[in-house]
Amino acid sequence: MRATTMDSNRLGSLNRGWTGLVRFGAYLGVMLGVSAMAMFDKSYGESPFLLELLSMKGVLWYGSAALLGAGLAAILGAVRPSLHESRLVANLVPWLDGVLLMIGLAFAWAAFEPAASQIDYEDQSNLVSGRVIMAMNVVFLFSAISYIAHLFAPESFIGRLATGSAYVGAFLGGSALLLRWYESYLIDVEIGHAPVSNLYEVFILLFCVTTFVYLALERRYQARAMGAFVMTLVAVGVFFGIWLDSVGQADIKPLVPALQSYWMKIHVPLNFVGYGAFAVACGAGMAYLFRHRLEARNSQSRLLRVFPTLEQLDQLAYKSIAIGFPAFTLATILGAAWAAEAWGGYWSWDPKETWALIVWLVYGAYLHARISHGWHGKALAWWAVAGFLVTVFCFLGVNMYLSGLHSYGRLS
Amino acid sequence: MNSLGDVFKSIWVRLGSMSLAIVLLVVLSIASVIGTVLLQNQDQGDYLQQFGPLWYWVFRSLGLFDMYHSWWFLTLLGFLMLSLAACLWRNVPRMLKEMRSRHPWLSERAMDRFRLKQQWLLGEEEVASIKQRFREVLAGWEFKEAAEGDMHFIRADKGRGNKWGYILVHAALLVILIGGWVSVEFGFRGDMAVPEGQSEDEISFLQGTERKYMKMPFSVRCNSFSIDFFPTGAPKEFRSNLTIIDDGKEVLTQDIIVNEPLYYKGVRIYQASFGDGGSKIRFRLFSLDGSAKVRDIETRVYETWKDENSGVSIEVTDFKPFNVENMAEPGQPKNFRDLGPAVEYILRGPGLKPVKIKAFMQPFIDNDGINQGSFLLVSLSGDAKDYQPVSLGLDLTNEDEWRLFHAFYRHLSASKIEDAKQRNLLAFRAALAEVYGDHPPERVQDAAMHVLQAMRMLPKLPWPYIPMLEDFDQVYYTGLQLAKDPGMNIVWVGSALLVLGLCIMFYMPHRKLWLVIRPVDGRMRVFLLGMANRNEMAFAHHFNEIFTKLTRESGRTIT
Repeated sequence: MRATTMDSNRLGSLNRGWTGLVRFGAYLGVMLGVSAMAMFDKSYGESPFLLELLSMKGVLWYGSAALLGAGLAAILGAVRPSLHESRLVANLVPWLDGVLLMIGLAFAWAAFEPAASQIDYEDQSNLVSGRVIMAMNVVFLFSAISYIAHLFAPESFIGRLATGSAYVGAFLGGSALLLRWYESYLIDVEIGHAPVSNLYEVFILLFCVTTFVYLALERRYQARAMGAFVMTLVAVGVFFGIWLDSVGQADIKPLVPALQSYWMKIHVPLNFVGYGAFAVACGAGMAYLFRHRLEARNSQSRLLRVFPTLEQLDQLAYKSIAIGFPAFTLATILGAAWAAEAWGGYWSWDPKETWALIVWLVYGAYLHARISHGWHGKALAWWAVAGFLVTVFCFLGVNMYLSGLHSYGRLS
Repeated sequence: MNSLGDVFKSIWVRLGSMSLAIVLLVVLSIASVIGTVLLQNQDQGDYLQQFGPLWYWVFRSLGLFDMYHSWWFLTLLGFLMLSLAACLWRNVPRMLKEMRSRHPWLSERAMDRFRLKQQWLLGEEEVASIKQRFREVLAGWEFKEAAEGDMHFIRADKGRGNKWGYILVHAALLVILIGGWVSVEFGFRGDMAVPEGQSEDEISFLQGTERKYMKMPFSVRCNSFSIDFFPTGAPKEFRSNLTIIDDGKEVLTQDIIVNEPLYYKGVRIYQASFGDGGSKIRFRLFSLDGSAKVRDIETRVYETWKDENSGVSIEVTDFKPFNVENMAEPGQPKNFRDLGPAVEYILRGPGLKPVKIKAFMQPFIDNDGINQGSFLLVSLSGDAKDYQPVSLGLDLTNEDEWRLFHAFYRHLSASKIEDAKQRNLLAFRAALAEVYGDHPPERVQDAAMHVLQAMRMLPKLPWPYIPMLEDFDQVYYTGLQLAKDPGMNIVWVGSALLVLGLCIMFYMPHRKLWLVIRPVDGRMRVFLLGMANRNEMAFAHHFNEIFTKLTRESGRTIT
């Protein structure tokens, strides 16, 4: 919470001014270019979305749109210099840079892919994404250990190592998912689909989202001690992911007809923005309870010096929920829109839907307790932790114990 | 007397209270959990079996088997709507007023309460420049100035509409609930099964524990239904070609697949399921009395064929043209293979235990490519879980093998040789010569294996004959779901408002800054005060930035 360090200032200046603005224009151009291709290109839809993006036609569409966007942004910036100071641009551009880096990494990994004749549906162990994911697992575990070590040895070196490895892990995971998307087409063009279709894939997505939400908060509020809790949650998830892999749940499988919809690419990732943010809130809540305990015992522990204050932790938990709640709401609404298109009704009281509603009510109640009743502190920290347990049940428990229309997320 | 009015008023106040809202939300959550744990809308018989008569009736009278439509659950939702309405009614006018008013004036006490507070001690000219700079730094904010005695106040506001967030979110929930009510009250949703080539104009749906039927204003003809498969054998696409017939005229013909419904007269038609639509089945009955007799019968799926002579009946329950199974040994990589068409039937007869049988049309070819003869899956319990494979030995698609088996049996019975091995060999040679003459089959070994397996297995079967699938003429039915949902658009409007409201609430906090100027001993003490109703941490950061910028212009600070 102290003033930002020199380091992030120097990096931050790259995101402001005309460099940031031009990049922002280019990214916006790419997005509009892709949308324009989907809407106006006559031959769009003949091949799958990813292959359209990778084709020459796709590159022409969004490449020219990117140039156009960048040019327009440069002109607008010259006309209205106040745009150079835009907070929106400064906040969004690093994220979009990250996406670009991830895509670049995925391309780099793709160069190591085995020859087409070696790729086989029956035995997917030679695909590169599996190895990248293994590297991600190791890096995340290392990061969690470093964050915990940083609590006891608050040298900036260990802290930087922890933060750095968290970044590396998240980028490895994200690029592995992108690569997996491409690999699914290498196996068979008919089988190919976005990598958000089974428990294993969404787990990796969850790690990355959780880590990125946490890192965004860490960067802005220097709350590194919280990482020990958030990254431990991620590490637990990593073990679950390894177990899933060991029981053969990590294979790329064809999509059941119910999932063959563009809605899947929107609904699922957005849901995991919600879940990931709730996981970070849970980490902040745990950190709060931990510090609260130390303080209650009048501890003079060195740990207290590393930790953010109770009030900051309280605010951080709230901030994560403020990110997660609207995302989760929107994801649920989009899920309803998909259900209306696929199942004949926007709401069927399917167990997954009902549990999503319960999660929503739990965090809605958290916000009411905080905003209208002015609750703070310990009770809400417990609430953030308990809320995440409900979220985990909604995410995992429903698939494992209850049946319903979402049963394709099931363990088999 | 005004007591009735007072009562209404106090009820109204209670309705809009936070406590009632929280109680309602908690009760709704708990009730929802019950509904996810207890499977909804299952067969009543299953419930009875699962819970026993007492609990079955308790649960049934509480409506727990269709909980989300039970009177008490709907009443809860109704109360939630009332509570939201009362809450809005009470708070909206106050919030609107608060949003309009922005007094620049602050009391001494109010100033003490600010957590974000900085001050300078400045000269006259510096004050003028800081005032101007304040407005420049805060481009886009709204300003209001006032003087009170010798004090001067400038108030700056950003995000004054933040309270619209609350209003929108709560109004949106009310709109969504109203939409849901409209959907339930004026819409319908039901299933329709249409066999290929036929048409249907009635849907069926569950209401409480009963199945209800409803006529549609048009009828739907299924022209064809098809399934597309992935190379792995998993289904890839279910496609129905449908024609809508309205008033005797064909008005629309269209394909539907999962995720791409058809829309006609406010009704959406979805691809929901499929099944056998009464395929024509030809059985070949292989007599087990040693007579080698074979005869063909014809029936249909869902029909029962009865043999008047023996009293045996065959009830055909299902037919599948593809049966993809994992043929790998446990622990080996998966190896999916299509075992070909199969028919399922229940075989009953006097003195016979009824059994469920799945008979495959083709013989079983093992992983080494060797023909292992025809086979059945037999379930004594009638449950598909209990299927046991029964290898018949003979390849019944090959008439010669059937004849070979009987010839062998005859020769074996007639033989007087003592040595079993020798007897078998000679009988088999004689049978071969009888059936094939001078042209024995290429794989005599296999044929011998088949006959020996049949000798072991066939005498054990209690039935007068084995019905095998000989031929079929497949007809699917397409399982459609028809839904009319006039409340859907209301729900989408509500959803849009909800997201908009949440964004305003969380991401457009109301931020206030004051510049308070007070003369002290010929100089000016200038206070910078800040307050945000959301995300104070980020605002504190911003506040410090503003303070630094203003200080750089105007010199000294005191704390």
